This record gives sequence, structure tokens and C-alpha cells, in this order.
Amino acid sequence: MNASCNVVKAGALGLIMAGLVLIASPASASPGDRVEKHFAVQSKPKITVRSSNGRIQVKAWTKNEVMVAWTNRSGKSAVDTEEAGNRVEITTQEAGGKISAEDLKTDFEITVPVESELHVRTDSGNVTVESVHGDMTFDTVGANLQLTDVNGYVMAKTIDGSLVCTRCSGKLEANSISGNMQMIDPSLDSLRVQTSSGNILFDGSFLSRGIYIMKNFSGTIEVHFASSDSFDVRATSLKGDVINQASFKPDTHGSPHAESKFGHSLFGTMNDGHAKVELTSFSGTIKILKRD
Amino acid sequence: MKFRRKWKAMKMMNMECDQFERILEQQDNGPLPAPALAHLEACETCRILSADLGAIRDAALELGAEELPVPERVWISLRQQLNAEGILAVERPPVPEVPAGWWAVFQRPALAGAFLSLLLAAAAMVGYQSGSVQIAMHSPLASPPAGNTFLSAEKEFKEESLAIGNVLIPQLQIRDAAVTDSLRRNLGVVDHFIAMCENSVREQPDNEMAREYLYGAYEQKAELLATAMNRSVTGGLQ
Repeated sequence: MNASCNVVKAGALGLIMAGLVLIASPASASPGDRVEKHFAVQSKPKITVRSSNGRIQVKAWTKNEVMVAWTNRSGKSAVDTEEAGNRVEITTQEAGGKISAEDLKTDFEITVPVESELHVRTDSGNVTVESVHGDMTFDTVGANLQLTDVNGYVMAKTIDGSLVCTRCSGKLEANSISGNMQMIDPSLDSLRVQTSSGNILFDGSFLSRGIYIMKNFSGTIEVHFASSDSFDVRATSLKGDVINQASFKPDTHGSPHAESKFGHSLFGTMNDGHAKVELTSFSGTIKILKRD
Repeated sequence: MKFRRKWKAMKMMNMECDQFERILEQQDNGPLPAPALAHLEACETCRILSADLGAIRDAALELGAEELPVPERVWISLRQQLNAEGILAVERPPVPEVPAGWWAVFQRPALAGAFLSLLLAAAAMVGYQSGSVQIAMHSPLASPPAGNTFLSAEKEFKEESLAIGNVLIPQLQIRDAAVTDSLRRNLGVVDHFIAMCENSVREQPDNEMAREYLYGAYEQKAELLATAMNRSVTGGLQ
């Protein structure tokens, strides 16, 4: 009785283990094959991508579905996908044996509902995101980020990867050591970017009540403004220059600014001074230039 | 006989603080022995120490919940380096295995990052608690007065991050050479900025902005080392 019971238990255990292996086994394909997977989700799913090397392209569509397609030229890496509730995780793994970074290189095309939360972690390659509305985080070493028409709370961290944010709206926080940062035609009401040796470019309008903080160590900070913009500005470079094309009037808000005895500073108000702009550099040049 | 047992028990109950610290250090998440608990109840200093270490461990474990273990050799080297510099007050010969106790906090990259951040917080505290003018006047870069604990926190952070960097960076084993190069190159960038900020603070001790940049550069270095550790452990895999 006990023996037969044990056999049944062992059989059941075997089936469960086999099932687990099937569920957990990553998808692999022949070298260069395009693999595609679809996940039905509800609105506002959370999508996480972890891949060390390759291009990651994320686009939005109106379907409540996540489509993940990938190509690994070497066929030596595998992609593990997991769906749990409204969460989809995508991870690149080595398929076996000792493989090089080039072998691991996997290109992704991911399509997500417009309102999606996105988390991407990668080392090198490029990340592009288009038309996604939701909170996003990016953590890269050398990978460049290109965000277009995104809306939400975006947080980006790179070591020397660059960030180009075109027509971004919402809030943006970005930090890098030597990456350049560009905000082109943004509608951001909160911006906080910092890079050490990289350059910062802001080419767009300052929204009323918006707060814009740009800081670097040695690169150039360039801000392009329209004559209709309304903002208070405070620009300081300890060892570099501040070049200004605007006709600022003295800041009428709050207490008057005392001229610092260190470096070059500029304080002033444009129109009614609705937005707040802070530009700080250690040894870089700060340029405040007219757009029109 | 009964008296001797009682005396021995009393002696154990009257444990010294250094004995308690040793027990606490060797404790591996398990309950403390009765004499140590008795000492804890009686000694406020050790209660604070125990609570602090517990809080650090909990926070660190939470941070490192999803991380992979660091290769043992990294920690052995790191421990040797810290011991050699007297940063760890435990005089033990190098051992081929990773010791238990609160040192386990350092076994995960995120925890090491958290540790660096703690040191950084200590350094930043110098600026905010003492007032920037006072700090500037007593900059560690311009021969600090002896016994200034705030300033030693900043100095310690600097030495610690240097020690960890010296151990970690030469041993970086990331599959992608470009990533390794990037981390090394950017560490050089941050070190260069730290040196420039230090010069500025030395030349202009009351320059608050230079000091802010210096702390910012320290913070970046801590974050960069944490990233390097993390990428090294995962071999470039995520």
C-alpha cells in the first residue's frame, strides 16, 4: 500500500516538475530567426525588459495586448518571458556555454498599449520608445535613449548613454556621468537633469508653474526660449561663462538675489516669471539663447 | 558549588560591551544568547548599536533581495583591504570563506551600494548639520582639527570608496568589454571631477557651490561603483 502510494506520489511529482520546466524554459530559436509572442493584458500593464546588448524598440498601439518580437543573430541567447496578471517580464539569458557579448546581442520590437508602465534595463545598444503614455524607468550603461511623444513620469539613469527626448510631456528626471541630454520641443512641467561631462540642450517652451533644473559639471548647457515664455532664471557657472540673449528684468519674486563672489551668475525674470529655471555648471558654459 | 554557578551566571550577565559587540557581529540572523539579551536590556549604548545594525541589515536585505551573490574572491580582497586600512575593527587573519554575521551585508552588490550611500549620507550630514560656513572653515582638505567626527565621516567615505574602487575595478569581469571600458573611463571622469572640486574647496573654503559639487561627485562615484559591482556580478547579463 505504502509502496504503491509512493509510486503515485513520485509520478505526480514528476509531472509537476516536467510542467514547471516547460513553463520556465526560455524560448530559443535558430540563429537569426524572428520570434514573436503575444500577451493579452488589461489597460495600464507593467512591462519590464532586461537585456544586456542590442536594440530595444517600444511602440504603442490601441490593443490591450503586448507583442514581443526578438531576433538573436547568434542563436546563443534565449529570451525568457513571463506573464503574471497585468505584468509582463522579458529577460535575455544565455542559452548555454560560454558566450560573448556579441552572441548575446538581441534586438527587440515590443508593442504595448498606449497607457503602459515601462521599465528597461540594458547595458549597451539603443532604446527607442514612441508614443507610450505611462511611468517609465531606464537604467543603462552605454545605451542611448530616444524617447518620442512620451507622456508620464520618466526616470532615466545612464553612465555614458545619451538621452534625446522629443515632444516629451509630463515629468523627466535624468542622471548621467558623460551622456548628453537633449529635450526637443518638450511640454514638461518638471525637469531635473544632471550630467557631469555631457552637454544639455533644452529647446522648447517653459510651461507656467513648471520647474526646470539643469546641472552639469563641464559640458555646455544651452537653453532656447521664446519671447513669449514666462520664467524666472537663475544661472551660475563657477568657472565657466554665462552667455545671455534675453532681456531680463530684475526678479520681482521673493527676496533679491545677492551676487555670488564666485563664478558668473545671472538672475532675472522674463515676462511674469511663471516658471522657474535653474541652470548650474561647475566649469561649463551656460547659454540662454532666443528661439525666434 | 551553587554559589560558583550563580557567580558564573552573574559574570555572564555582566557582559562587557566589547563582548556583546563580538557576539552581535557573529550572530547570523538568529536570536541572541541569553547573556547578550540581558546585557542589551541593561546597556543603552549597545541597544542603540543593535537597533542601528538591525535597521541597516533590513534595509540592505530589502535592497538586495533580487541580486546575485558577489564572487567570493571580491569580498576576500575587499575585506583584506578594509582590514589593512583598519576600517574594520576586527583583527582576524584573512579566511578563505566568507564569514557570517553583519559582514553578510557586504555580500550583495546592492548592499555594498547601500553602505556607500550610508557613508555618503554621513558625509552630506557634515554639510547640513554643522552649517556650511563652519564646515568650510574647518574643511578636511585644509587640515581639520583632531576629533572632528563629522569631518572624519567625509574622509572615511573618500578612503572607503577609494579602497573599494581599487579592489573592484581591476577585477571587473563583465562580458562586454565596451561596458567595462565605459565604467573605467567614467570612473576616471568622476575622479577627475572630485580632484577639481577638492582643489576649489581648498582654495575657496567658503564656496558652498564647490562643496555641493564635491558631494555630488562623491555620490556619483558611489553610484558608479554600485553599478560596476552589479554589472560585474551578473557578467553583463541582466
